Amino acid sequence: MEIRLSSVFLAALLLSGCGWFHRGDKGPTPIPAEEPQAEPSIIDPQVTRRVVKTPRIKAKDFELGAYFGALSIEDFGTNPIYGLRAAYHVTEDIFLEGFLARSKAGLSSLEETFPDISVVSNSGRQFTYYDLDVGYNVLPGEIFLGRGRAFNSQLYVTLGMGDVKFADKDQFALNFGLGERLLVTDWLAVHLDVRDHVFESDLFGVTKNVHNVEATLGLTVFY
Amino acid sequence: MPRLLAFILFVQALLFGGAVHARDNYLELVVTRPYLEMHTGPGRGYPVFYVIGRGESVTVLYSRTDWYRVRAPRGQEGWVRRNDLAATELESGEPAPIPPYPDFSAHRWEIGAGYGVYNRENLVTSYLDYGLTDSLDVEMVLQQAFGTLDNRTIETIGLRNTIVPEWKWFSPTVGIGMGHQSVSDKVPPAPLESSNELAYAGLGARGFITRRFMWRFDWRAYVVFNQLNKSEVLEEWKFGLAVFF
Repeated sequence: MEIRLSSVFLAALLLSGCGWFHRGDKGPTPIPAEEPQAEPSIIDPQVTRRVVKTPRIKAKDFELGAYFGALSIEDFGTNPIYGLRAAYHVTEDIFLEGFLARSKAGLSSLEETFPDISVVSNSGRQFTYYDLDVGYNVLPGEIFLGRGRAFNSQLYVTLGMGDVKFADKDQFALNFGLGERLLVTDWLAVHLDVRDHVFESDLFGVTKNVHNVEATLGLTVFY
Repeated sequence: MPRLLAFILFVQALLFGGAVHARDNYLELVVTRPYLEMHTGPGRGYPVFYVIGRGESVTVLYSRTDWYRVRAPRGQEGWVRRNDLAATELESGEPAPIPPYPDFSAHRWEIGAGYGVYNRENLVTSYLDYGLTDSLDVEMVLQQAFGTLDNRTIETIGLRNTIVPEWKWFSPTVGIGMGHQSVSDKVPPAPLESSNELAYAGLGARGFITRRFMWRFDWRAYVVFNQLNKSEVLEEWKFGLAVFF
């Protein structure tokens, strides 16, 4: 009984306390701030500051595209190759380029002569590579088509290195190439490239440097 | 046939709409020097084929390296050298907002690739680097080493301190970090462990070449954590070229 009574008192106290606190929240009534007695201006400037947003100039230094052609794999015949390329033009002369491509080797002359012998397994005939290159536009110029048309073009050399995966082995490969970039429009280019991928191979018993020359035709877009 | 016509109209509307929309977003500049030369291509050797006179406006379409593709008031399009365009003004008289090249001593991002030798194996390396401050960078490296017995893929992350970032052409660096390597055998027998954690400490140097272009040289000593009795210490050096932003 006593407990109930005290709890009722306590509840009442709490409630009144809450009420008190709430009352306290209201705070004193604000005194209106005195208006500054400014001189009435004759001209009321209604000019809002004009925000001029200058458009950004888009940089189109990247070149992205695809290519296909023929790859001569030393001892394994000439085969179609197709790949992707991406370049970044650092200056009007220098560019950095990456390649990713794939081809499939045919039969070596040994395998053709002796059909029972297999130098490379079937899965090992896949020839894939990636390359990281530096390129230099050696001979920029124009190519004329008839009287009224001129296309910008650049003859370039590239030097680089990468990975050639052939015969189920990843090999360090150097590559060097010569190419011609012909700009059909200012954002679309046709490429003609000849590149040699050199790596060490011991597939036929002796370790030697093998040269794998490719001739490709490509199409790239500047963006 | 009507469907084809509708399609053509739709494509045209898209193209035209796009063109109109795009035109609104191009930068318009006013020539303030006696003339502005337009070249046929984005290179120093391409001939000048058109000249925009003082007071005329020029529309800047886009840039490629040091050259800007512009449109003259009468529609001719050609390439203008960066320095020439920087001498023009906005209509309001302010200088043309041609963004400056990033300051080499204070740049933030670097991306590059190079050649090296890792544990006497040929190495192809690539890296991405972010500058926390002018002198302290976080760098992520992904590289592939090609040996006679095995090939390795190495990924590392580390900190690199450029000792004097103000030195433009040659500035030494020191770095530490950790990473992982995976080993795949080329010739049997298979390696005892196909993957290891590793840590490295390194010395290097970097320098400016031109525009956004720079070089890097690095030497690193790696400690490979393995389960064998003897800890493996590998040495690496590499040289790379990079672009900074």
